[in-house]
Amino acid sequence: MIPLTYYLVLSAILFTMGALGVLIRRNALVIFMSVELMLNAANLAFVAFARQYNAFSGQLFVFFVMTVAAAEVAVGLALIVAIFRVKHNIDVDQMSSLKG
Amino acid sequence: MDFTLLLFFLLAATAVATALGLLLSRNAVYAALFLVLNFATVAVFYLLLGAPFVAMTQVTVYAGAIMVLFLFVIMLLGAEKLPKGEALPWQRPLAIGAAVILFAEAVYLLVQRVRLTAALPDPGTWENSMESLRQMAGMLFTDYLLPFEVTSLLLLVAMIGAIVLTKGERAVRS
Amino acid sequence: MNFVLPIFPEILLLALGVLILILDPFVKRDEARRPFLGWFTAAGLLVALTLSLLLARPAEPALVYGGMIRFDGLGFLFKMFFLFAAAVTALFFMDEEKLARRAEAYLLLVAATLGMSLMASAADLVMLYLSIETASIPLYVLAGFMKEDDKSIEAGFKYMLFGAMASAVLLYGFSLAYGFTGETGLYALALHFGDFNLLAAGVTFLVLAGLAFKVSAFPFHFWAPDVYQGAPTPVAGFLSTASKAAGFAVLMRLFTAVFPAVNADWSLILAILATLTMTVGNLIALAQKNVKRLLAYSSISHAGYALIGVVAFSQLGMTSVAFYLIAYVLTNLLAFGVVAIVGRVTGSDEFSAYNGLSRRNAPLALAMLVAFLSLAGMPPFVGFIAKFYVFLAAVNSNWVWLAFVGVLNSIVGLYYYLNVLKYVYLFRMEGEDEEKHPVPVSRPVAAAVVVLAVGILLLGTLFGPWFGFAEQAAATLF
Repeated sequence: MIPLTYYLVLSAILFTMGALGVLIRRNALVIFMSVELMLNAANLAFVAFARQYNAFSGQLFVFFVMTVAAAEVAVGLALIVAIFRVKHNIDVDQMSSLKG
Repeated sequence: MDFTLLLFFLLAATAVATALGLLLSRNAVYAALFLVLNFATVAVFYLLLGAPFVAMTQVTVYAGAIMVLFLFVIMLLGAEKLPKGEALPWQRPLAIGAAVILFAEAVYLLVQRVRLTAALPDPGTWENSMESLRQMAGMLFTDYLLPFEVTSLLLLVAMIGAIVLTKGERAVRS
Repeated sequence: MNFVLPIFPEILLLALGVLILILDPFVKRDEARRPFLGWFTAAGLLVALTLSLLLARPAEPALVYGGMIRFDGLGFLFKMFFLFAAAVTALFFMDEEKLARRAEAYLLLVAATLGMSLMASAADLVMLYLSIETASIPLYVLAGFMKEDDKSIEAGFKYMLFGAMASAVLLYGFSLAYGFTGETGLYALALHFGDFNLLAAGVTFLVLAGLAFKVSAFPFHFWAPDVYQGAPTPVAGFLSTASKAAGFAVLMRLFTAVFPAVNADWSLILAILATLTMTVGNLIALAQKNVKRLLAYSSISHAGYALIGVVAFSQLGMTSVAFYLIAYVLTNLLAFGVVAIVGRVTGSDEFSAYNGLSRRNAPLALAMLVAFLSLAGMPPFVGFIAKFYVFLAAVNSNWVWLAFVGVLNSIVGLYYYLNVLKYVYLFRMEGEDEEKHPVPVSRPVAAAVVVLAVGILLLGTLFGPWFGFAEQAAATLF
């Protein structure tokens, strides 16, 4: 018997680590992976809550989130590939041609 | 200590360790593989929470499709070895500090609600799972019909968008 | 037939998108028929607008499709404006070479509009999240559409990264909201958020953070200048208007339906955010030398003005926000449209590119005057009416200091808008031979500019019926 709080704390830990990854890392791909980690943490919270209420709405929400994440990743990776083709570099600290 | 609780702690430790691996790894491929392991761990959590369909979808879509796509792109761009560079010196401790504060607040918030420490029931039997799957499928095509149809449009648009961005015109400089 | 009425505009949009895709291979081969797609898209959107107005008006607000959509006046009003904004943007697309010949650009525009119209009427967390993503993902692609231009591709990438992160934060907030109530329907959630407590605060904080990104409010406004500057100018125009308005529609619905009880405590925070948004936007705009960046910061400050109406939290407040957004959509689209034309002809977006514009193309300069003065809030343009009502709503709800800050900020704004107009009307080109360098304007763009300019004047003078529409729409929220 696992208390719900344990799952929520774990979800909070993973979410924070994902947010840290986005803020600290410089490689565009790793940053994007950290965003996926954040989404995953939210998913875990959803399924845990769904279990508590014995409802399926949480699980179905996760199903939709996964679909959206897949679409987002497709477009995001396409953008990263396109950037690489132009700049030969995916370090975000070097993407500053728009400063003004 | 009963078996489920022990399993939970083991898996939780794995999940956090792999997330840490993603954060700290110097090699993009290692980072991706750590994330795959994290997703697999979370899939087992879903099984523990009595959501077999979501667990299977997690393995198939997240670990199986999304991460494979990531690895493709990492290999395509030759981005395995990441340059050793520093972020602006004040940014890193600030980010860590902010994250710790955020996390502490989250834990405080969650633990405060006493009624939530009620334990979750262990997952049911296989027959229950099939029945629940049937019910979920029913809901997907009745209550959730509109989001379902919108998702189909979203996937089409994402596909077209990805093609537009990456399709070479004539000679592709790489 | 009644079954499909709530999503009638969306169905028409879907049909239009599919038609664009089908027609594309037939039009591609013939050089002379290339503008066809642009006119077709714009016409299709206007047809969708007319048919929806005639056939699909909501009667009483009602939850439909399993509680996913609330068929009410507010959603309908916003939908009509998104269709109009998309039609105008499709016309502006026809001027940009890289965008005009790709059917995918028009399809992405239509798909983004579809997502936005669903956002305006979403009544369930699932639908809300899904529609926000459906609206955003095509826009990420559109922002980075000119993939050989490193500014554009960088803009698309930054927009995507920050947008993905904001969605993740929003989703976490939704998960907590679901967790503490067991419901995903917005109106069902409202029943549980009756009393203020720590959890409601946490959820509100996360959701507000995610939405503040969408409307580029402080402190999540930093992505806007880079993205607007890098993206193709018509896309930047669409982003700064329709996308922001969609975010506001969601904000309005959430604050009146779901969070009314927490409102009293959050109003002060929102008021501070509104102040900071306006002030930061206006102050940084003062230092800009690039028109697109200036417009980006001005858009940020306009989000601040609209937030004042949300803070007022009364029927008049919500009405004023709706009217403000209508005014803002018209004005900003015109401003970005003029910038797109001049940018294409002169190849630059710096202020110096506008030297002597009044002599190179007088009607265009006049359109720019109309747009910028309306942005500044001068009568007889619609910007004046919009600001007036927002400040009135604030004063009526005892937020006098906020209205005062708004007025001060408008004065600062007036300065930098007039500054740009100085280049247009007073400065002259190098060599002083403007007659030899006219600024040609193609037919679709001219049509769009005329419609927008007339609209700004019309709504500024005869604003009665339009304000009435906004009033009816806002009333359905409560």
